Amino acid sequence: MRTVTIDKNAFRRFVDEIIKRQRVIGVCAKGDRFDFEQLESADQLRLDYDVTLQPPKKYFLPPVETLLTFEVGDGYKSVYDDTPFVLLGVHPYDMVALNQLDTLFTQDNYDTHYMKRRHNATIVACDVVSPSKNVFASSMGTATVKDGFDVLLTDIGNAFVMESGSKKGDRFIAKAQGAVDSSEKDLQARQKIQAENEKRLNNHKLKCEASYLPKLLERAYDHPVWEEKAKTCFSCGSCNLVCPTCYCFNVQDDVNWDFISGKRQRAWDGCLLDGFTKVAGEHEFRKKRADRFRHRLYRKCKYVPEKISSQIMSCVGCGRCVGACLPDIANPVKVYNRLVDDLGIK
Amino acid sequence: MDRPRVAIFDFACCEGCQLQIVNLEEELLDLIDNVEVVEWREAMSEQSREYDIAIIEGSITRPEDEKRLEIIRTRAKTLIALGACATIGGINKLKNNFEMSDVKKCVYGKSADMPHLETMPTKAVDEVVKVDYKIHGCPIDRKEFTYVIRCLLMGKKPEIPEWPVCVECKSKGNPCLWDYGQVCLGPIIRAGCGARCPSSGFRCFGCRGYIDDPNVNGAKDVIERYGLSVDALKAKMVLFGIGQGPTNA
Repeated sequence: MRTVTIDKNAFRRFVDEIIKRQRVIGVCAKGDRFDFEQLESADQLRLDYDVTLQPPKKYFLPPVETLLTFEVGDGYKSVYDDTPFVLLGVHPYDMVALNQLDTLFTQDNYDTHYMKRRHNATIVACDVVSPSKNVFASSMGTATVKDGFDVLLTDIGNAFVMESGSKKGDRFIAKAQGAVDSSEKDLQARQKIQAENEKRLNNHKLKCEASYLPKLLERAYDHPVWEEKAKTCFSCGSCNLVCPTCYCFNVQDDVNWDFISGKRQRAWDGCLLDGFTKVAGEHEFRKKRADRFRHRLYRKCKYVPEKISSQIMSCVGCGRCVGACLPDIANPVKVYNRLVDDLGIK
Repeated sequence: MDRPRVAIFDFACCEGCQLQIVNLEEELLDLIDNVEVVEWREAMSEQSREYDIAIIEGSITRPEDEKRLEIIRTRAKTLIALGACATIGGINKLKNNFEMSDVKKCVYGKSADMPHLETMPTKAVDEVVKVDYKIHGCPIDRKEFTYVIRCLLMGKKPEIPEWPVCVECKSKGNPCLWDYGQVCLGPIIRAGCGARCPSSGFRCFGCRGYIDDPNVNGAKDVIERYGLSVDALKAKMVLFGIGQGPTNA
């Protein structure tokens, strides 16, 4: 697999060429923030962004999607989204998150809807240029990424280093006119940037190794911090909805006016929302805000990593929840550090 | 199946929510194919005392309205409150900030004391009779209305969001309006509108009413951190919020 260097003007022409051929989603300015949007021109692309409002998961697990249509007596038809696309500018922490979702959506029940989109995607990751205000990827070991992407871009000043991570990536890079095999100097420049990012994407510093968190949480279930923080929790689910690794969904049927046909849809859900755990007979397992507040932080750094046997936590340190939480209680680092302070590292 | 008989009644309101039903366009024929509309002042002349489903639009602002509503309730198997005026009292509750005698004088001037102009503090429909289902919003969402009707026809409980507007706002990728100096009511107001106002850059005014369990502590904390007073927040809530329990906490 090749690693090439392409100067920025040639890269822009290359992106414009791809836009002519297929759907390209890239990071664009949205007011004074950034988000993924379909590109019409390479000029819109902002690879110097800090963080996107939404994580890229929505291109694989949309906020609402139709899974199937049905008709009584005539079975059902699965509905698939089958358009190839390029996802351009995924930061390493978001790439790690997608890698986790890949594992989760193939582990027990293979999710054909998610995976169809995943196979249709060419993911171009890019190393961080401007750290966001709340990023703590360095603490979580997700400031750089080694796999999962098809291509990894690194801005080395006047040019990008492009590394292919897959056969799809090879084919992608092969089309880049003006790209040359990276010199030793370019590779060293990239190495320096990545080494720096591993330290500097750390605006909230975790007081222990991230891989220790499952053990720490084992001793924290009855700690007072859950009640204290949850006192001001709106249960608005904002922390779930902006999270790159939250993947819970709800499924509902909508029947047409003929009362024999309809569609089955799934929509994002969130464990902070009242009613998330409500089952038949109106029984609700996590009625208390504190229970729901605790659940998210257990899910991120105990339940999911244990489920997929991962040393990398399910909180990837993007910091989106920190900024999205109006009462400012969602910051995982603040909670985990409090537990380290109170319970110690054993 | 037998088509259920439906009657639509209006109380104090602008009738905009009924207009949303008239405006159903491609779904209107489906609707009247599946139900028998027996009374609907806005769209037909016939009247009836026999109906299965009563749809109530508007809030209750006069003593005689209360009596009329109670009679409707005894006749209907299912009663639906339609739109903000019916579900939470709506903007008619602005009146509850004043003395009734002043309100009457303001509206009717010299005739204020005429016996047929008797008035009282505004009530939502469920402050007078039992309500089975609420279709929220000012105005209602047409798709939500037809969804609820289809659910009732199937004998299925409709899923009305019990989560706040933030859910729909974040799903759309909107930046939070609080970051831009707006006192948005999204975190405590019921979703279902698709975060229509915040998506257009306007704060949530709260037309769908509070979620089942709004966090008053959270609201107080945020008010403090953003340098606002409780009164300032209440002022933002007055359009749709007056008299809704939790503001008084």
